[in-house]
Amino acid sequence: MRELLRRVFKLSIPIVAIAVAAGCGGSGSSSSGGTGGGSTPAAGTPQKGGTLTILASSSFGVADPAQNYTLQQWAFLIDTHDGLVAFKRVGGTEGTQLVPDLAEQIPQPTDGGKTYTFQIRKGIKFSDGTTMKPSDFVTTFERQFTVPGPTSFYSGIVGADKCTPKNCDLSQGVVADDNAYTLTIHLTAPDPEFLDKLALPFAFVVPSTTSPKLTGNNVPPGTGPYMWQSYDPNKEAVLVRNPNFKVWNPDAQPEGYPDKIVEKYGLQVSDEVTAVENGQADVVFAGDTIPSDRLNELGTQYADQTHVNALTADWYFALNTKRPPFNNLQARQAINYAFDRKAAVQLAGGSSLAVPSCQILPPNFPGYTQYCPYTANPAANGAGPWTAPDITKAKQLVQQSGTAGASVVVNTDGPDKPFGEQMVADLNKIGYKAKLVVLAGSIQYPFLQNSKNLDKWSVGWSAWYQDYPAPSDFLNVLLGCGSIHPNSDASPNIAEFCDKGIQAKMDKALTTGVTNPDAANQLWAEVDHEVTDQAPWVNMYNPKQIDFLSKRVQGYQWSPQWYILYDQLWLQQ
Amino acid sequence: MGTFIIRRVLWTLLVMFVITVLVFLIFFETPGVDPARQIAGRNPSASALKEIRHQFGLDRPVPVRYVIMMKKLFITRDLVSYSNQGQSVVPEIVSAAPATLSLVVGAAIIWVVVAILMGVAAAMLKGTVFDPLLMMLALIGISMPVFWLGEVMNLFTQHQFHNSFVFSWVPGLGYYPFTQDPILWFKGLLIPWITLSVLYIGLYARVLRASVLEIQNEDYVRTARAKGLSERQVLVRHTLRTSMITFVSLFGLDFGALVAGGVLLTEVVFGIHGVGFLTYQSLTNLDLPVIMATVVYGAFFIVLANALVDIAYAWLDPRIRLA
Amino acid sequence: MAEVALEPQAGVPDEGPERVAGRSPWVLAWRRLRRNRIAFAALILFVVIVVSSFGAPFYADHIAHTDPFVNNVNGTTIVNGKKVPLMQQGGGVLKLGVTPIGPTWDIHHYFLGSDTQGRDVAARILYGGRSSLEIGIGSAIIASLIATILALVAGFYSGIVDALLSRLMDVIWAFPVYLLAICIATVLLTAPNGLEVGPVHVVASSLWLPTLIIGFIYVPYVYRPVRGSVLSVAEKEFVEAAVAQGASNRRLIFSEILPNVITVVIVLMPLMIATTILTEAALSFLGVGVQPPGASWGTIISDGQNLLYTRPWVAIAPGIMIVLTVLALNVLGDGIRDALDPRAKLRVEG
Repeated sequence: MRELLRRVFKLSIPIVAIAVAAGCGGSGSSSSGGTGGGSTPAAGTPQKGGTLTILASSSFGVADPAQNYTLQQWAFLIDTHDGLVAFKRVGGTEGTQLVPDLAEQIPQPTDGGKTYTFQIRKGIKFSDGTTMKPSDFVTTFERQFTVPGPTSFYSGIVGADKCTPKNCDLSQGVVADDNAYTLTIHLTAPDPEFLDKLALPFAFVVPSTTSPKLTGNNVPPGTGPYMWQSYDPNKEAVLVRNPNFKVWNPDAQPEGYPDKIVEKYGLQVSDEVTAVENGQADVVFAGDTIPSDRLNELGTQYADQTHVNALTADWYFALNTKRPPFNNLQARQAINYAFDRKAAVQLAGGSSLAVPSCQILPPNFPGYTQYCPYTANPAANGAGPWTAPDITKAKQLVQQSGTAGASVVVNTDGPDKPFGEQMVADLNKIGYKAKLVVLAGSIQYPFLQNSKNLDKWSVGWSAWYQDYPAPSDFLNVLLGCGSIHPNSDASPNIAEFCDKGIQAKMDKALTTGVTNPDAANQLWAEVDHEVTDQAPWVNMYNPKQIDFLSKRVQGYQWSPQWYILYDQLWLQQ
Repeated sequence: MGTFIIRRVLWTLLVMFVITVLVFLIFFETPGVDPARQIAGRNPSASALKEIRHQFGLDRPVPVRYVIMMKKLFITRDLVSYSNQGQSVVPEIVSAAPATLSLVVGAAIIWVVVAILMGVAAAMLKGTVFDPLLMMLALIGISMPVFWLGEVMNLFTQHQFHNSFVFSWVPGLGYYPFTQDPILWFKGLLIPWITLSVLYIGLYARVLRASVLEIQNEDYVRTARAKGLSERQVLVRHTLRTSMITFVSLFGLDFGALVAGGVLLTEVVFGIHGVGFLTYQSLTNLDLPVIMATVVYGAFFIVLANALVDIAYAWLDPRIRLA
Repeated sequence: MAEVALEPQAGVPDEGPERVAGRSPWVLAWRRLRRNRIAFAALILFVVIVVSSFGAPFYADHIAHTDPFVNNVNGTTIVNGKKVPLMQQGGGVLKLGVTPIGPTWDIHHYFLGSDTQGRDVAARILYGGRSSLEIGIGSAIIASLIATILALVAGFYSGIVDALLSRLMDVIWAFPVYLLAICIATVLLTAPNGLEVGPVHVVASSLWLPTLIIGFIYVPYVYRPVRGSVLSVAEKEFVEAAVAQGASNRRLIFSEILPNVITVVIVLMPLMIATTILTEAALSFLGVGVQPPGASWGTIISDGQNLLYTRPWVAIAPGIMIVLTVLALNVLGDGIRDALDPRAKLRVEG
């Protein structure tokens, strides 16, 4: 998922046909740096009470859980709503395990993996006082299709193919028995990731009385320890305690500590930092990029309030493989040799916030083995880190490719123009005529994806954050032949890179993965290196995440799935 | 007088119409922005997009789309934002207005009081070193970009001297509603008020000084003086009162322009969520319904201020009515 | 906001100055201006700013030896004879972030320090001044030119043409001026191809884009006073006399009316430039003015926003340049008006 974290202005459509965290083999995605990490031992005894104030530069758009696809709202929805299953509510890699939530236990699928039968917990009430019953789930799933949203997650349910935004009937696919308190879901085909999808906020239950249309900024009642008091995208979101909540499974939905959670919108990030330093607020929203000049004071004066976690994400430039000069392999490799990744790391806030990379897969990821051929003095077989650009080699490649002197357009969005300027300078250095085009954040990503615009850019800035720790989420989603959708704004293979041989290997890895994850990961590692050799991107670095909290906040936990767990923070009175 | 007002009102309506058409034409087909995509949210299916295009009338001809939008804005008042359909545009503006009004009214009080004091003082002290000194100060005020002054103010009050007693009372940036905490409201707005008023203090002090000097040489003021009125009485009863006519008309226009969105920069720098800030955000998102509504709101205030000033003038000076 | 500086209600007298008898009104005016010491000082200040801004390439190439348009985050500079990195890694356990070097007060080495991209702030301010002045002066000239032509047409043909034009101006006038500029700029910057009107093609990164936008929005502000002056001159005896002698329209416009109108425009010009410079700064500050890698004072303030608390000079210095420039222009404007129209001294000023 691209940029779930970044500013809402920039939010755009990630296409993730199959999705979701965890459970897909491999280790968790979180590693810690600095004082951060999964969790910090809390000083003193956790205590309830107080108002936790989060500052975010902008809100997360429409608040209907069936449509919203931002980590910003998800961080709240996990506190106010529940699904059948949930990712364990703890920090660290444990946070990617699935645990039963509104279901009594996680069922084994029957009927060859096509049927799931859940025993639903009794006696759970929505925040409006009505009792939650299995039939509420039917409405919840039908709303996936009547509210315009990312419908592809649940399109495998029987009857979903006939659903339209006007009308949806899933009575064949989602069968509720309000007497026996069971819910049976029928799929058209086995889906090994279906349980993960059920743990996403899209599948969080809402009352059957909820309108099939978009509820706008009124969030329907949920079953979690908190409920939405108000949401005004230009002002604030306010969560208060749900009087009807009682703990049923602390692993899935523990009690929260603050009495009230408020997220305020619209400050400049720098002012958010100041406010948290001065104790006027408690948390700088994780999606707001803290200006690099404020970081030093956080790392020195406020080190014990600052937490750093490595993200499995890429910040990269896609090269337009359909148009000259970068339809030429040597030209693509040339700029990979020439691009100064150290400069990019500096622009990103220094070596403690970004790690240079040449390949597609991020470190600590299944299938990752270090590979960087595009560096001065590469290690044997490229199995070493990036150290410095190799301009001589790059110039040589440009000469060989016969593309010297070509005009090149570098495309970035506003906040990331410094990277674009670096790219322009490095392109000019090796004999291209580069210029920068900056587009508004809200349109840059769809613009790059749409094949209609292929003649308007040669190098395009972009970034990608994992949906779930599986190599296909990077390699197949971003560089697979199947991810090219002509004339669509949702075509995540921006580079339009399609290599038949590599694609065959990816398909093989996908099928192997069902039975033998280790063998599959080995295949993915080969794919990763082969794609890197084809140089469809100039990958810059893998970023790290900073969380900055006020002095009175204790109990920090960082889940690789939901990031910071707000309800588990507690305030020193 | 009646026909004059009717003519003004009709003219106002015409202007508003032309402005809405203009804004619609500027924005209706911004390349690269598909309203249906904005409405659909992330990862929509093709059928959902088609449905939305139909539902919102985006597949209709441009004039029809204009009429639909105007109908939703003025008659049914249920126009919703493209980037967030939970957000009705009209209530959004209504709820942002108090912040803008608080900011502009407060700043206006400061600038009127200080400008009168400065302008009159300069006029009275003409010939001494203080007159050019005050006027130079006024000119410096006029020459400062308001967003830069705001930044510098923030630097001092939020950072540099925030921990000293001078500015430790300044709360974090943002708007604190009067109804929730009047004292915090005042504290939070004081620095923005001062920042916003500096330019107008400069302008108005200059206008007032010139006007006072001019009127002091008029015959009727000389007569008043000859009649034995004290300098203070002359100043208050005659000079200042006459100067106020220019002053008030200027004030009407500036106040209108500020409420209309002229405070955008000040609101952005201080994180005050007024109408200007809303406009700025909607422009960043290219959210046509909100842009349309804020511009209509802004144009309405400017045209209204113009009309009020004109009517006041006509009332004061009958010759204009005939013209 | 600064547009009020040009509020014609209180601004330049509507009826325009009369022609001073004698051969050389301009010489007289120049003499008067030179005797006005404050105005003359302002003129010199303005000239100094213009010259140093246009000397930016010289400063960058021969004094600071730097290219302020290329990232230099891995670079070094000399402070007190020692080589130091431009970007300093954060300290403490976490070593978070990088901070650019602050002012060295050494004109050969990052006089005002570096910005977040390792570029010389002092050199950028000079280059930025060049863009700001070019846009400010260019748009003021464009606004004056269009306004004068329209005013001549309106004033001369009067009747329905005049009414239509004036109404059109009123409509633009009813737009909050910054809002109009931001709206147009946002749309044009969003369009991947920039502004395309017939054969004219202005790309988004061109300085012409903000120049044209700002020039366009200020047309009504010049139009009103100029039209007033055209109308008043057209009724003067010498024009009537010329008409009686059978002078052609063209001759009338060029030989009789235009010279008088030019006086009004010249009086307005410094104030116009002051206003357009402030507008450009505001647009660039909001990110819809000068586009990277270009720089103007407004974009540098905007860059400096992220460095405000650690390296405040990045934001403060370009602001001071704006204040000095605009102040000089305002003082000069007063001086020119007094010089060209001595009797205006006691009129209401704006």
